[in-house]
Amino acid sequence: MTERVVCATEDLPPGSRVVVSVDRIEIGVFNIGGELVAIRNRCPHAGAPMCDGLLTGTVVSDGPQQRRWAHDGEILRCPWHGWEFKLPEGRSLVDPPYLLSTYEVRVLDGQVLVDTASGRGTRTRAEART
Amino acid sequence: MSAAGAARREGTELAGDDPARLATVSLETAARGGRPPACAIVDASVHVRPRSQAEFRAYLPRLWKTRRLPSGDGYYYPNPAGNHLRETYSDAGPPGSDPDLLHRHLITDGGVDRVVLHPLTLGLLPDIDLLGAVCSATNAWLADTWLGPTHDRFHGTIRVAPGDPVAAVAEIERWAAHPGFVQVGVPMQSLQPYGKRQFWPVWEAAAAHGLPVCVHADAETGVEHAPTPAGYLHTHFGHAAVAPFMFVNHLTSLMTEGVLDHLPGLRVVFADGGFDLLGPMMWRLDKDYRAMRVDMPWMTRLPSEYLAEQVRFVAHRMDGPDDAAVAGEWLSMVDADRLLVYGSNYPNWDFLPPGLVYPDAAAEARERILHGNATRLYELDRGETA
Ligand code: FES
Repeated sequence: MTERVVCATEDLPPGSRVVVSVDRIEIGVFNIGGELVAIRNRCPHAGAPMCDGLLTGTVVSDGPQQRRWAHDGEILRCPWHGWEFKLPEGRSLVDPPYLLSTYEVRVLDGQVLVDTASGRGTRTRAEART
Repeated sequence: MSAAGAARREGTELAGDDPARLATVSLETAARGGRPPACAIVDASVHVRPRSQAEFRAYLPRLWKTRRLPSGDGYYYPNPAGNHLRETYSDAGPPGSDPDLLHRHLITDGGVDRVVLHPLTLGLLPDIDLLGAVCSATNAWLADTWLGPTHDRFHGTIRVAPGDPVAAVAEIERWAAHPGFVQVGVPMQSLQPYGKRQFWPVWEAAAAHGLPVCVHADAETGVEHAPTPAGYLHTHFGHAAVAPFMFVNHLTSLMTEGVLDHLPGLRVVFADGGFDLLGPMMWRLDKDYRAMRVDMPWMTRLPSEYLAEQVRFVAHRMDGPDDAAVAGEWLSMVDADRLLVYGSNYPNWDFLPPGLVYPDAAAEARERILHGNATRLYELDRGETA
Protein backbone atom coordinates (compact mmCIF):
# COMPACT_ATOMS: atom_id res chain seq x y z
CA MET A 1 0.00 0.00 0.00
CA THR A 2 1.49 3.28 -1.06
CA GLU A 3 -1.17 5.62 0.34
CA ARG A 4 0.15 7.93 3.01
CA VAL A 5 -1.62 10.30 5.38
CA VAL A 6 -0.72 13.89 4.63
CA CYS A 7 -2.78 15.71 7.23
CA ALA A 8 -6.24 15.96 8.73
CA THR A 9 -8.84 17.53 6.46
CA GLU A 10 -9.39 20.38 8.90
CA ASP A 11 -5.76 21.37 8.46
CA LEU A 12 -6.33 21.88 4.73
CA PRO A 13 -9.18 24.37 4.33
CA PRO A 14 -10.03 25.79 0.87
CA GLY A 15 -7.29 28.10 -0.37
CA SER A 16 -4.56 26.48 1.70
CA ARG A 17 -1.75 24.05 0.99
CA VAL A 18 0.27 21.51 2.93
CA VAL A 19 3.72 20.23 2.01
CA VAL A 20 4.98 16.96 3.42
CA SER A 21 7.85 14.59 2.81
CA VAL A 22 6.65 11.03 2.28
CA ASP A 23 8.73 8.12 1.04
CA ARG A 24 11.55 10.63 0.45
CA ILE A 25 9.38 12.61 -1.96
CA GLU A 26 8.17 16.10 -1.20
CA ILE A 27 4.53 16.39 -2.06
CA GLY A 28 2.26 19.41 -1.75
CA VAL A 29 -1.50 19.15 -1.46
CA PHE A 30 -3.61 22.16 -2.45
CA ASN A 31 -7.24 22.70 -1.56
CA ILE A 32 -8.63 24.64 -4.51
CA GLY A 33 -12.17 25.57 -3.61
CA GLY A 34 -12.80 22.13 -2.12
CA GLU A 35 -10.94 20.13 -4.76
CA LEU A 36 -7.71 18.55 -3.56
CA VAL A 37 -4.70 18.52 -5.88
CA ALA A 38 -1.41 16.83 -5.01
CA ILE A 39 1.78 17.68 -6.87
CA ARG A 40 5.43 16.89 -6.50
CA ASN A 41 7.29 19.83 -5.00
CA ARG A 42 9.53 20.14 -7.99
CA CYS A 43 9.21 22.30 -11.08
CA PRO A 44 9.74 20.35 -14.31
CA HIS A 45 11.72 23.25 -15.75
CA ALA A 46 14.69 23.45 -13.43
CA GLY A 47 13.65 21.89 -10.16
CA ALA A 48 12.33 24.79 -8.10
CA PRO A 49 10.24 24.00 -4.98
CA MET A 50 6.97 24.40 -6.81
CA CYS A 51 4.83 24.55 -3.70
CA ASP A 52 6.41 27.87 -2.74
CA GLY A 53 4.75 29.29 -5.84
CA LEU A 54 1.97 31.82 -5.94
CA LEU A 55 -1.50 30.40 -6.58
CA THR A 56 -3.26 32.96 -8.72
CA GLY A 57 -5.16 33.44 -11.95
CA THR A 58 -4.01 34.48 -15.36
CA VAL A 59 -4.90 36.41 -18.49
CA VAL A 60 -6.28 34.68 -21.57
CA SER A 61 -7.31 35.99 -24.96
CA ASP A 62 -10.60 35.27 -26.71
CA GLY A 63 -9.56 37.00 -29.92
CA PRO A 64 -7.23 39.56 -31.42
CA GLN A 65 -6.26 42.27 -28.96
CA GLN A 66 -8.55 40.82 -26.27
CA ARG A 67 -7.53 40.14 -22.67
CA ARG A 68 -9.57 38.52 -19.93
CA TRP A 69 -8.79 37.39 -16.39
CA ALA A 70 -9.34 33.65 -16.05
CA HIS A 71 -8.63 30.50 -14.02
CA ASP A 72 -8.66 32.45 -10.78
CA GLY A 73 -6.96 30.42 -8.04
CA GLU A 74 -5.96 27.62 -10.43
CA ILE A 75 -2.64 28.93 -11.74
CA LEU A 76 0.49 27.99 -9.83
CA ARG A 77 3.44 30.18 -10.77
CA CYS A 78 6.89 28.77 -10.24
CA PRO A 79 8.88 30.71 -7.64
CA TRP A 80 12.04 30.61 -9.75
CA HIS A 81 11.23 31.66 -13.32
CA GLY A 82 7.56 32.43 -13.10
CA TRP A 83 6.23 29.79 -15.47
CA GLU A 84 2.51 29.24 -15.13
CA PHE A 85 1.04 25.77 -14.48
CA LYS A 86 -2.67 25.18 -14.48
CA LEU A 87 -4.12 22.97 -11.76
CA PRO A 88 -5.50 20.39 -11.35
CA GLU A 89 -3.85 18.86 -14.45
CA GLY A 90 -0.50 20.60 -13.93
CA ARG A 91 -0.03 21.56 -17.57
CA SER A 92 2.29 24.48 -18.31
CA LEU A 93 0.54 27.37 -20.03
CA VAL A 94 3.78 28.76 -21.36
CA ASP A 95 5.36 25.65 -22.85
CA PRO A 96 2.75 22.89 -22.90
CA PRO A 97 5.04 19.86 -23.09
CA TYR A 98 5.97 20.60 -19.50
CA LEU A 99 3.73 18.98 -16.90
CA LEU A 100 3.90 18.93 -13.11
CA SER A 101 3.97 15.54 -11.46
CA THR A 102 0.56 14.96 -9.89
CA TYR A 103 -0.58 12.29 -7.46
CA GLU A 104 -3.87 10.66 -6.64
CA VAL A 105 -5.34 12.16 -3.48
CA ARG A 106 -8.51 11.37 -1.53
CA VAL A 107 -10.16 11.89 1.82
CA LEU A 108 -10.86 8.95 4.14
CA ASP A 109 -12.15 9.23 7.69
CA GLY A 110 -11.15 12.88 8.01
CA GLN A 111 -7.64 12.26 6.67
CA VAL A 112 -6.08 13.44 3.45
CA LEU A 113 -4.38 10.49 1.70
CA VAL A 114 -1.89 10.63 -1.16
CA ASP A 115 -0.84 7.60 -3.22
CA THR A 116 2.89 8.13 -3.51
CA ALA A 117 3.22 5.51 -6.25
CA SER A 118 0.71 7.25 -8.50
CA GLY A 119 2.92 10.15 -9.55
CA ARG A 120 3.00 10.70 -13.27
CA GLY A 121 6.61 11.38 -14.10
CA THR A 122 7.67 14.96 -14.53
CA ARG A 123 7.83 15.65 -18.20
CA THR A 124 10.25 17.92 -19.90
CA ARG A 125 10.20 19.18 -23.44
CA ALA A 126 12.78 16.61 -24.42
CA GLU A 127 10.80 13.75 -22.87
CA ALA A 128 7.60 14.92 -24.48
CA ARG A 129 9.26 14.79 -27.89
CA THR A 130 10.27 11.13 -27.57
CA MET B 1 52.01 69.75 -59.77
CA SER B 2 48.58 69.00 -61.24
CA ALA B 3 46.15 66.75 -59.42
CA ALA B 4 46.43 64.20 -62.16
CA GLY B 5 50.18 64.15 -61.81
CA ALA B 6 49.94 63.64 -58.06
CA ALA B 7 47.57 60.79 -58.55
CA ARG B 8 49.92 59.11 -61.00
CA ARG B 9 52.79 59.47 -58.64
CA GLU B 10 50.81 57.76 -55.86
CA GLY B 11 49.77 55.00 -58.18
CA THR B 12 46.07 55.66 -57.71
CA GLU B 13 43.31 56.29 -60.15
CA LEU B 14 41.25 59.35 -59.48
CA ALA B 15 37.73 58.51 -60.40
CA GLY B 16 36.30 61.93 -59.68
CA ASP B 17 32.58 61.67 -59.23
CA ASP B 18 32.06 59.03 -61.90
CA PRO B 19 30.21 56.34 -59.94
CA ALA B 20 31.00 53.66 -62.51
CA ARG B 21 34.71 54.17 -61.99
CA LEU B 22 34.30 54.16 -58.21
CA ALA B 23 32.63 50.76 -58.32
CA THR B 24 35.06 48.26 -56.84
CA VAL B 25 33.03 45.10 -57.28
CA SER B 26 32.74 43.42 -60.65
CA LEU B 27 29.67 41.37 -61.39
CA GLU B 28 31.48 39.14 -63.84
CA THR B 29 34.28 38.36 -61.45
CA ALA B 30 31.96 37.87 -58.49
CA ALA B 31 29.68 35.58 -60.48
CA ARG B 32 32.50 33.13 -61.09
CA GLY B 33 32.91 32.53 -57.36
CA GLY B 34 31.93 29.49 -55.37
CA ARG B 35 30.26 26.28 -56.44
CA PRO B 36 27.51 26.60 -59.05
CA PRO B 37 24.35 24.95 -57.76
CA ALA B 38 22.82 22.02 -59.60
CA CYS B 39 19.25 23.18 -58.98
CA ALA B 40 17.01 25.81 -60.51
CA ILE B 41 17.40 29.23 -58.91
CA VAL B 42 15.02 31.92 -57.69
CA ASP B 43 16.58 35.29 -56.93
CA ALA B 44 14.20 36.84 -54.40
CA SER B 45 15.80 40.25 -54.00
CA VAL B 46 16.69 42.34 -57.02
CA HIS B 47 16.41 46.10 -57.12
CA VAL B 48 15.20 48.04 -60.11
CA ARG B 49 14.61 51.70 -60.76
CA PRO B 50 13.38 53.92 -63.58
CA ARG B 51 15.82 54.95 -66.29
CA SER B 52 15.12 58.59 -65.64
CA GLN B 53 12.95 61.00 -63.73
CA ALA B 54 10.92 61.44 -66.92
CA GLU B 55 10.23 57.73 -67.20
CA PHE B 56 8.97 57.73 -63.62
CA ARG B 57 7.04 61.00 -63.72
CA ALA B 58 4.92 59.71 -66.58
CA TYR B 59 3.20 57.57 -63.94
CA LEU B 60 2.52 60.36 -61.44
CA PRO B 61 -0.87 62.07 -61.61
CA ARG B 62 -0.89 65.71 -62.70
CA LEU B 63 -1.16 66.81 -59.08
CA TRP B 64 2.31 65.49 -58.36
CA LYS B 65 3.88 65.36 -61.81
CA THR B 66 5.77 68.61 -61.53
CA ARG B 67 6.53 68.39 -57.83
CA ARG B 68 10.13 68.06 -56.76
CA LEU B 69 10.93 64.68 -55.29
CA PRO B 70 13.59 64.20 -52.65
CA SER B 71 16.64 62.37 -53.95
CA GLY B 72 16.36 59.70 -51.29
CA ASP B 73 20.01 59.88 -50.51
CA GLY B 74 19.89 61.68 -47.26
CA TYR B 75 22.16 58.71 -46.89
CA TYR B 76 25.13 59.83 -44.91
CA TYR B 77 27.27 56.81 -45.49
CA PRO B 78 29.00 56.65 -48.84
CA ASN B 79 30.17 53.13 -49.45
CA PRO B 80 33.93 52.98 -50.03
CA ALA B 81 33.38 50.19 -52.57
CA GLY B 82 30.87 52.23 -54.55
CA ASN B 83 27.20 51.48 -54.35
CA HIS B 84 26.73 49.28 -57.39
CA LEU B 85 28.36 46.60 -59.46
CA ARG B 86 30.71 47.93 -62.12
CA GLU B 87 28.92 46.32 -65.07
CA THR B 88 25.49 47.62 -64.08
CA TYR B 89 26.29 51.18 -65.09
CA SER B 90 25.21 51.98 -68.59
CA ASP B 91 24.58 55.02 -70.72
CA ALA B 92 20.91 54.09 -70.95
CA GLY B 93 20.26 54.63 -67.26
CA PRO B 94 21.34 53.96 -63.69
CA PRO B 95 22.09 50.46 -62.35
CA GLY B 96 19.03 48.22 -62.36
CA SER B 97 17.07 50.30 -64.87
CA ASP B 98 17.48 48.25 -68.05
CA PRO B 99 15.33 45.09 -68.26
CA ASP B 100 17.44 43.59 -71.07
CA LEU B 101 20.73 44.16 -69.29
CA LEU B 102 19.33 42.76 -66.06
CA HIS B 103 17.96 39.75 -67.91
CA ARG B 104 21.35 39.11 -69.43
CA HIS B 105 23.26 39.53 -66.16
CA LEU B 106 21.01 37.39 -63.99
CA ILE B 107 19.16 34.99 -66.25
CA THR B 108 21.10 34.45 -69.48
CA ASP B 109 24.59 34.62 -67.99
CA GLY B 110 23.78 34.14 -64.30
CA GLY B 111 21.71 30.97 -64.59
CA VAL B 112 18.79 32.28 -62.52
CA ASP B 113 15.30 31.11 -63.49
CA ARG B 114 13.08 33.59 -61.75
CA VAL B 115 13.66 37.00 -60.29
CA VAL B 116 11.61 38.90 -57.72
CA LEU B 117 11.98 42.60 -58.44
CA HIS B 118 11.81 45.02 -55.56
CA PRO B 119 11.99 48.72 -56.39
CA LEU B 120 12.29 51.11 -53.47
CA THR B 121 10.10 54.15 -52.85
CA LEU B 122 12.01 56.88 -51.02
CA GLY B 123 11.52 55.41 -47.55
CA LEU B 124 9.40 57.74 -45.46
CA LEU B 125 8.39 61.18 -46.66
CA PRO B 126 6.94 63.97 -44.54
CA ASP B 127 4.08 64.31 -47.04
CA ILE B 128 2.29 60.96 -46.77
CA ASP B 129 0.11 61.78 -49.80
CA LEU B 130 3.16 62.32 -51.96
CA LEU B 131 4.62 59.08 -50.64
CA GLY B 132 1.41 57.26 -51.55
CA ALA B 133 1.60 58.72 -55.05
CA VAL B 134 5.22 57.60 -55.37
CA CYS B 135 4.24 54.06 -54.35
CA SER B 136 1.32 53.97 -56.81
CA ALA B 137 3.45 55.33 -59.64
CA THR B 138 6.21 52.85 -58.86
CA ASN B 139 3.78 49.95 -59.03
CA ALA B 140 2.25 51.12 -62.32
CA TRP B 141 5.72 51.72 -63.76
CA LEU B 142 6.93 48.29 -62.65
CA ALA B 143 3.89 46.57 -64.14
CA ASP B 144 4.35 48.35 -67.48
CA THR B 145 8.11 48.20 -67.76
CA TRP B 146 9.11 44.93 -66.14
CA LEU B 147 6.14 42.61 -65.75
CA GLY B 148 4.06 40.97 -68.42
CA PRO B 149 4.41 38.51 -71.26
CA THR B 150 7.79 39.69 -72.53
CA HIS B 151 9.34 39.30 -69.11
CA ASP B 152 7.72 36.19 -67.71
CA ARG B 153 10.74 35.41 -65.50
CA PHE B 154 10.25 38.66 -63.59
CA HIS B 155 7.92 38.93 -60.61
CA GLY B 156 7.02 42.16 -58.89
CA THR B 157 6.56 43.79 -55.50
CA ILE B 158 3.60 46.01 -54.62
CA ARG B 159 5.15 48.95 -52.81
CA VAL B 160 3.02 50.54 -50.10
CA ALA B 161 3.52 53.07 -47.31
CA PRO B 162 2.15 51.48 -44.12
CA GLY B 163 2.15 54.89 -42.40
CA ASP B 164 -1.08 55.54 -44.34
CA PRO B 165 -2.91 52.23 -43.86
CA VAL B 166 -5.99 53.26 -45.86
CA ALA B 167 -3.93 54.13 -48.94
CA ALA B 168 -1.73 51.08 -48.45
CA VAL B 169 -4.73 48.74 -48.39
CA ALA B 170 -6.18 50.42 -51.50
CA GLU B 171 -2.88 49.93 -53.30
CA ILE B 172 -2.77 46.24 -52.40
CA GLU B 173 -6.35 45.83 -53.62
CA ARG B 174 -5.46 47.58 -56.85
CA TRP B 175 -2.70 45.14 -57.77
CA ALA B 176 -3.45 41.91 -55.95
CA ALA B 177 -5.15 40.31 -58.95
CA HIS B 178 -2.27 41.20 -61.32
CA PRO B 179 -0.42 37.93 -61.91
CA GLY B 180 2.96 39.66 -62.02
CA PHE B 181 3.01 40.77 -58.38
CA VAL B 182 4.03 38.22 -55.78
CA GLN B 183 4.58 40.25 -52.62
CA VAL B 184 3.96 43.52 -50.81
CA GLY B 185 7.05 45.62 -50.04
CA VAL B 186 7.43 48.02 -47.13
CA PRO B 187 10.37 50.07 -45.86
CA MET B 188 12.40 48.81 -42.95
CA GLN B 189 12.26 52.38 -41.67
CA SER B 190 9.13 53.09 -39.71
CA LEU B 191 8.16 55.47 -36.95
CA GLN B 192 6.47 52.59 -35.10
CA PRO B 193 7.28 48.88 -34.98
CA TYR B 194 5.17 46.94 -37.45
CA GLY B 195 3.17 44.95 -34.90
CA LYS B 196 1.24 48.07 -33.82
CA ARG B 197 -2.49 47.99 -34.36
CA GLN B 198 -2.52 50.87 -36.82
CA PHE B 199 -0.74 48.62 -39.35
CA TRP B 200 -3.04 45.62 -38.99
CA PRO B 201 -5.33 46.51 -41.93
CA VAL B 202 -2.29 46.44 -44.23
CA TRP B 203 -1.14 43.02 -43.04
CA GLU B 204 -4.74 41.76 -43.20
CA ALA B 205 -5.01 42.83 -46.84
CA ALA B 206 -1.71 41.19 -47.74
CA ALA B 207 -2.66 37.96 -45.98
CA ALA B 208 -6.12 37.94 -47.55
CA HIS B 209 -4.49 37.93 -50.98
CA GLY B 210 -1.80 35.43 -50.02
CA LEU B 211 0.94 38.02 -50.59
CA PRO B 212 4.00 37.85 -48.35
CA VAL B 213 5.12 41.17 -46.84
CA CYS B 214 8.75 41.96 -47.55
CA VAL B 215 10.58 44.39 -45.26
CA HIS B 216 13.58 46.03 -46.91
CA ALA B 217 15.78 48.99 -46.03
CA ASP B 218 14.68 51.94 -48.14
CA ALA B 219 16.06 55.34 -48.97
CA GLU B 220 16.51 57.89 -46.22
CA THR B 221 15.05 61.33 -46.57
CA GLY B 222 15.60 62.71 -43.10
CA VAL B 223 12.22 62.10 -41.48
CA GLU B 224 12.93 58.63 -40.13
CA HIS B 225 14.33 57.80 -36.71
CA ALA B 226 18.10 57.87 -36.32
CA PRO B 227 19.56 54.51 -37.38
CA THR B 228 20.35 53.64 -33.78
CA PRO B 229 18.58 54.96 -30.65
CA ALA B 230 21.96 56.40 -29.65
CA GLY B 231 22.34 58.27 -32.92
CA TYR B 232 24.66 57.89 -35.86
CA LEU B 233 27.69 55.69 -36.30
CA HIS B 234 30.75 56.93 -38.07
CA THR B 235 30.96 54.98 -41.30
CA HIS B 236 29.06 52.86 -43.78
CA PHE B 237 30.62 49.82 -42.17
CA GLY B 238 29.13 50.60 -38.77
CA HIS B 239 25.82 51.66 -40.26
CA ALA B 240 25.44 48.45 -42.26
CA ALA B 241 26.42 46.37 -39.23
CA VAL B 242 23.72 47.74 -36.95
CA ALA B 243 20.91 48.33 -39.48
CA PRO B 244 19.64 44.72 -39.28
CA PHE B 245 18.61 45.26 -35.66
CA MET B 246 15.53 46.96 -37.10
CA PHE B 247 14.35 43.55 -38.29
CA VAL B 248 14.57 42.26 -34.75
CA ASN B 249 12.40 45.19 -33.67
CA HIS B 250 9.74 44.55 -36.29
CA LEU B 251 9.74 40.79 -35.85
CA THR B 252 9.49 41.00 -32.06
CA SER B 253 6.66 43.49 -32.41
CA LEU B 254 4.76 41.30 -34.91
CA MET B 255 5.03 38.41 -32.48
CA THR B 256 4.30 40.13 -29.19
CA GLU B 257 1.43 42.28 -30.42
CA GLY B 258 -0.32 39.25 -31.83
CA VAL B 259 -0.14 39.85 -35.59
CA LEU B 260 1.26 36.41 -36.35
CA ASP B 261 -1.51 34.77 -34.31
CA HIS B 262 -4.24 36.94 -35.76
CA LEU B 263 -3.08 36.21 -39.32
CA PRO B 264 -1.79 32.65 -39.53
CA GLY B 265 -1.62 33.04 -43.32
CA LEU B 266 0.65 36.07 -43.14
CA ARG B 267 4.21 35.54 -44.36
CA VAL B 268 6.86 38.10 -43.50
CA VAL B 269 10.16 38.27 -45.36
CA PHE B 270 13.08 40.21 -43.95
CA ALA B 271 15.16 41.04 -46.96
CA ASP B 272 18.12 42.97 -45.68
CA GLY B 273 20.06 40.96 -43.14
CA GLY B 274 19.42 40.06 -39.54
CA PHE B 275 19.29 36.30 -39.95
CA ASP B 276 22.48 35.87 -37.97
CA LEU B 277 20.86 37.67 -35.03
CA LEU B 278 17.92 35.31 -35.03
CA GLY B 279 19.34 32.42 -32.97
CA PRO B 280 20.29 34.35 -29.84
CA MET B 281 17.20 36.52 -30.20
CA MET B 282 14.94 33.47 -30.21
CA TRP B 283 16.68 32.01 -27.16
CA ARG B 284 16.00 35.26 -25.40
CA LEU B 285 12.39 35.60 -26.54
CA ASP B 286 11.51 31.99 -25.74
CA LYS B 287 13.02 32.27 -22.29
CA ASP B 288 11.33 35.52 -21.36
CA TYR B 289 8.04 34.62 -23.01
CA ARG B 290 7.65 31.75 -20.56
CA ALA B 291 7.93 34.11 -17.63
CA MET B 292 5.77 36.85 -19.15
CA ARG B 293 3.19 35.11 -21.30
CA VAL B 294 0.48 36.66 -19.19
CA ASP B 295 1.09 40.00 -20.92
CA MET B 296 0.63 38.51 -24.41
CA PRO B 297 -2.25 36.09 -23.91
CA TRP B 298 -2.91 36.10 -27.67
CA MET B 299 0.40 34.38 -28.31
CA THR B 300 -0.36 30.70 -28.76
CA ARG B 301 3.16 29.39 -29.10
CA LEU B 302 6.76 30.05 -28.22
CA PRO B 303 8.23 32.90 -30.27
CA SER B 304 10.64 30.58 -32.09
CA GLU B 305 7.73 28.37 -33.17
CA TYR B 306 6.25 31.04 -35.44
CA LEU B 307 9.33 31.18 -37.63
CA ALA B 308 9.04 28.01 -39.66
CA GLU B 309 5.57 28.81 -40.96
CA GLN B 310 5.47 32.57 -41.11
CA VAL B 311 8.90 34.16 -41.34
CA ARG B 312 11.64 34.08 -43.95
CA PHE B 313 14.93 35.88 -44.37
CA VAL B 314 16.66 36.71 -47.62
CA ALA B 315 20.19 35.36 -47.67
CA HIS B 316 22.37 37.87 -49.38
CA ARG B 317 24.74 39.16 -46.75
CA MET B 318 26.00 35.69 -45.88
CA ASP B 319 26.46 36.73 -42.29
CA GLY B 320 27.55 33.93 -40.02
CA PRO B 321 30.68 32.14 -38.89
CA ASP B 322 33.72 32.29 -41.18
CA ASP B 323 34.86 28.78 -40.38
CA ALA B 324 33.07 26.33 -42.69
CA ALA B 325 32.92 23.63 -40.01
CA VAL B 326 31.27 25.95 -37.49
CA ALA B 327 29.03 27.42 -40.19
CA GLY B 328 27.50 24.05 -40.98
CA GLU B 329 26.59 23.46 -37.36
CA TRP B 330 25.22 26.95 -36.98
CA LEU B 331 23.08 26.69 -40.10
CA SER B 332 21.40 23.54 -38.91
CA MET B 333 20.92 25.02 -35.44
CA VAL B 334 19.01 28.00 -36.82
CA ASP B 335 16.96 26.07 -39.38
CA ALA B 336 18.62 27.97 -42.20
CA ASP B 337 17.50 25.59 -44.90
CA ARG B 338 13.88 26.31 -44.03
CA LEU B 339 14.04 30.01 -43.20
CA LEU B 340 16.34 31.38 -45.88
CA VAL B 341 15.54 32.34 -49.44
CA TYR B 342 18.30 33.32 -51.81
CA GLY B 343 18.45 36.93 -52.99
CA SER B 344 21.37 38.48 -54.83
CA ASN B 345 20.73 42.15 -54.01
CA TYR B 346 21.64 42.98 -57.62
CA PRO B 347 22.73 45.58 -58.72
CA ASN B 348 24.20 46.58 -55.39
CA TRP B 349 27.84 46.21 -54.53
CA ASP B 350 27.19 43.36 -52.09
CA PHE B 351 25.75 41.20 -54.87
CA LEU B 352 25.69 37.51 -53.95
CA PRO B 353 26.02 35.10 -56.86
CA PRO B 354 24.26 31.74 -56.46
CA GLY B 355 27.56 29.87 -56.41
CA LEU B 356 28.52 31.54 -53.14
CA VAL B 357 25.36 30.52 -51.31
CA TYR B 358 26.62 28.12 -48.65
CA PRO B 359 28.80 26.22 -51.12
CA ASP B 360 29.66 23.63 -48.48
CA ALA B 361 26.08 22.89 -47.46
CA ALA B 362 24.33 19.66 -48.45
CA ALA B 363 22.69 19.67 -51.88
CA GLU B 364 19.13 19.51 -50.51
CA ALA B 365 19.73 22.41 -48.16
CA ARG B 366 21.12 24.50 -51.02
CA GLU B 367 18.17 23.54 -53.19
CA ARG B 368 15.73 24.78 -50.57
CA ILE B 369 17.56 28.06 -50.07
CA LEU B 370 18.16 28.71 -53.76
CA HIS B 371 14.86 27.48 -55.11
CA GLY B 372 12.37 25.50 -53.04
CA ASN B 373 11.67 27.94 -50.22
CA ALA B 374 11.05 30.89 -52.52
CA THR B 375 9.01 28.80 -54.94
CA ARG B 376 6.67 27.83 -52.12
CA LEU B 377 6.67 31.27 -50.52
CA TYR B 378 5.68 33.03 -53.74
CA GLU B 379 3.78 30.09 -55.22
CA LEU B 380 5.89 30.41 -58.34
CA ASP B 381 5.01 26.92 -59.52
CA ARG B 382 1.29 27.70 -59.59
CA GLY B 383 1.23 28.25 -63.34
CA GLU B 384 3.49 25.28 -64.10
CA THR B 385 1.54 22.61 -62.28
CA ALA B 386 -1.82 23.83 -63.56
S1 FES C 1 12.32 26.18 -12.21
FE1 FES C 1 10.24 26.53 -12.40
S2 FES C 1 10.09 27.93 -14.03
FE2 FES C 1 12.18 27.53 -13.89
